[in-house]
Amino acid sequence: MTTKAPGKVLLEMKGIGKSFPGVKALEGVNLTIREGQVHALLGENGAGKSTLIKILSGAYTRDEGEIFFDGQLADIKAPADAERLGISTIYQEFNLAPNMTIAENIFLGHLPTKAGRIDWATVRSKSRELLDSLDVSLPVDTMTGRLSVAQQQMVEIAKALNRNTRILIMDEPSAVLSERDIDNLFAVVRRLQAAGIGIIYISHRLKEIFELADEVTVLKDGRYVDTKQVSDVDMDDLVKLMIGRDLADVYPKRKAELGEVVLEVSHLGQAHLAKDVSFELRAGEIIGFAGITGSGRTEAVRVIFGADKPTGGEMKLLGKPYRPTSPRDAIDQGVALVTEDRKRQGLLLKLQVYFNTTVSGLQRLTKFGVLQLKDEQTLVKKWIKDLRIKTPSPEFMVVNMSGGNQQKVILARWLSLGIKVFILDEPTRGIDVGSKAEIYQIMSDLAEQGVAIIMISSELPEVLGMSDRVMVMREGRIVKVLDRADASEEAVMHYAVGHDEAIAE
Amino acid sequence: MSSVQSTALDKRQGFLKIVLASPILGPVAALLLASIFFAFATPRFLSGDNFSLILQQVMVVGVLAIGQTLVIITTGIDLSNGMVMALAGVLIASFAAQKGINPFLSILVGILIAMAFGMLNGALVTGIGLPAFIVTLGTMNIAYALTRIYTTSTITGLPKELTFLGDTFKIGGTAIANGTILMILLYAVTWFVLKYTAAGRSVYAVGDNVEAARLAGIKTNRVLVGVYTFAGLAYGIAALLQVARTGVGDPQAGQTSNLDSITAVVLGGTSLFGGRGSIVGTLIGALIVGVFRNGLQLMGVESTYQVLITGILVIAAVSVDQLTHRK
Repeated sequence: MTTKAPGKVLLEMKGIGKSFPGVKALEGVNLTIREGQVHALLGENGAGKSTLIKILSGAYTRDEGEIFFDGQLADIKAPADAERLGISTIYQEFNLAPNMTIAENIFLGHLPTKAGRIDWATVRSKSRELLDSLDVSLPVDTMTGRLSVAQQQMVEIAKALNRNTRILIMDEPSAVLSERDIDNLFAVVRRLQAAGIGIIYISHRLKEIFELADEVTVLKDGRYVDTKQVSDVDMDDLVKLMIGRDLADVYPKRKAELGEVVLEVSHLGQAHLAKDVSFELRAGEIIGFAGITGSGRTEAVRVIFGADKPTGGEMKLLGKPYRPTSPRDAIDQGVALVTEDRKRQGLLLKLQVYFNTTVSGLQRLTKFGVLQLKDEQTLVKKWIKDLRIKTPSPEFMVVNMSGGNQQKVILARWLSLGIKVFILDEPTRGIDVGSKAEIYQIMSDLAEQGVAIIMISSELPEVLGMSDRVMVMREGRIVKVLDRADASEEAVMHYAVGHDEAIAE
Repeated sequence: MSSVQSTALDKRQGFLKIVLASPILGPVAALLLASIFFAFATPRFLSGDNFSLILQQVMVVGVLAIGQTLVIITTGIDLSNGMVMALAGVLIASFAAQKGINPFLSILVGILIAMAFGMLNGALVTGIGLPAFIVTLGTMNIAYALTRIYTTSTITGLPKELTFLGDTFKIGGTAIANGTILMILLYAVTWFVLKYTAAGRSVYAVGDNVEAARLAGIKTNRVLVGVYTFAGLAYGIAALLQVARTGVGDPQAGQTSNLDSITAVVLGGTSLFGGRGSIVGTLIGALIVGVFRNGLQLMGVESTYQVLITGILVIAAVSVDQLTHRK
């Protein structure tokens, strides 16, 4: 981060408040954005970030407070008002028409005309210009549906630039990207910043804020906490502002009492994605799998869970041959998987908390062929209490819960089954710091009870903070095993992206 | 959005939301309103005999709709049910009346053939991964053709075992058909299975998200084949009801039953997007259609207009459903 003279104030939000019947979603929130500034907006889920963003982009109208744009009172009542001022938002779910070309998407709703006909020459040349300015070399007539997530994001940014954006709001833009794509995104953000655009950057990843942002505003429970220069604070300060607790407490200390070997994996392969994966996992041990996206970690654990068929190798569970034919088979033998994509592969989104909690263990709740709904209620209420799942009732639809609470519902599902091997694939992705700490604590408690744990994570601090051993995967192979003591971010990254000599070890 | 806010929204819309979001209350309200309207519009509507008649008129589609409900909860759709019913009905009637086969054995074979069609639908949907719409469009035509190949004439002279379900008994002067009791029994059993068994839960889980259900340990292929086969069982029983009610084996039966059963399911609040729906709702949905048809008939409205009004009803019901469940 470079220190530079602060730019002109573009936007000032003062004392913003918003109530929904029965609850104050926002109260007294201030936000000042300058030209060429990256301003991070930080807070746990439910802190009010989304509400604030929606007020600024015209999706909600505020109840209290004032908004100044260019020093003038601005009344944003509808998305069109925000657009006129040059405020654009890139949401996590992109707003692109998949069956239209990049150029058509960039000009969607703003197609220039010449003598009553669409001026395609301008559309194409201007689109090319915008893509070039973002260092994107894709042909402008590529269908957006065929682009990678990272490329689609670039199209969204080009679309915003085409509308003379002066403030760009980015809602967790890195959550959907791989490490390499994130670097590229950062480069683009810095370029926009240099062009004088004010950027509001929302992220759960504190590390990114230190890498990218100039200023940071923290919200908590709908209230304004503070605004700081990023250079004046460290990670501990930010966590304390967000959750009122120290970062040191996030990764629980525990004594690893390793027991017998629970799972033995030898030469496991899955198509061309995972090749020759071998390791042993002991009771009470947490193994962290590090590596870049596509290194074969997810593919390997899916085979262990019986979700995919192996193309080679063998496994043993508690010394006996283990070859699960389906997830059900794996679950019955005591192996569980928390999937990477919570919404598509984990939860039954439009069903209730109780349904999601007990769906894998209904046989245990069945007597003489009949589900014991009262026993189910008791069980579900116990887990809601034990894991501190925030829900109005067991009948609440999980789609309406925050990421952290959704993840706890999934944990409850598996914990109620008494598992021996617990595999967690990106267990804290898109989850606020408070819930993260709780999930780490749960993992730690399980390990102490003798459960063997495999954790896949792309967040290095998490891998290093939680694992007894770190397995680094690259191109379908485990290229390095690091003990807790030897594991550092540099070492892990070195092997994760390293060169061929590392494989030879 | 934060959970705090959505909770508050829930509270605000409390009563309205319960009425609109409950799979049953909306259809029940519609049924009551329609009944009140017809009670005022025509003096003959409000009588025990007329209600009994409505129940007899809906029992065939009502039982078909049981199978349709389960299929739709799993995000599928079954276009074949009317034709499968016609085939099973013709075979049951022909075996018993023309081939001299024991009537009960005839019924059993007819039902098994309907179940075999269901199982075929399920196997094609899971095994090859074809959309249910296409699979059942195909089996619908196959069942239709097989019926016509077997016979094009109506089969008469049925033994009394085949018409028993069309017979009535009297409770306090009102005649009630045996088939009506069977229909209500089938609804009760299905309701119990959906609410009180692991298998019933699996149906909803598969309908919400088939991959997530598989990764939660549900044998999704087995559930889907089971659902389509169970639906086939319902169609076989519907065939028996159809035969009993009309007293003949009719190769022309069931021509519009697939759409009629979908109408009942949709009016009953089951989502075509899967994962959400109620079997009691379907019964109410079938009754709504029955009440409208009957009431309009009593008012002297032509049958073409009855169809028109049913069409409007379906679109209105699905629109209300869509608007109340939109995120």
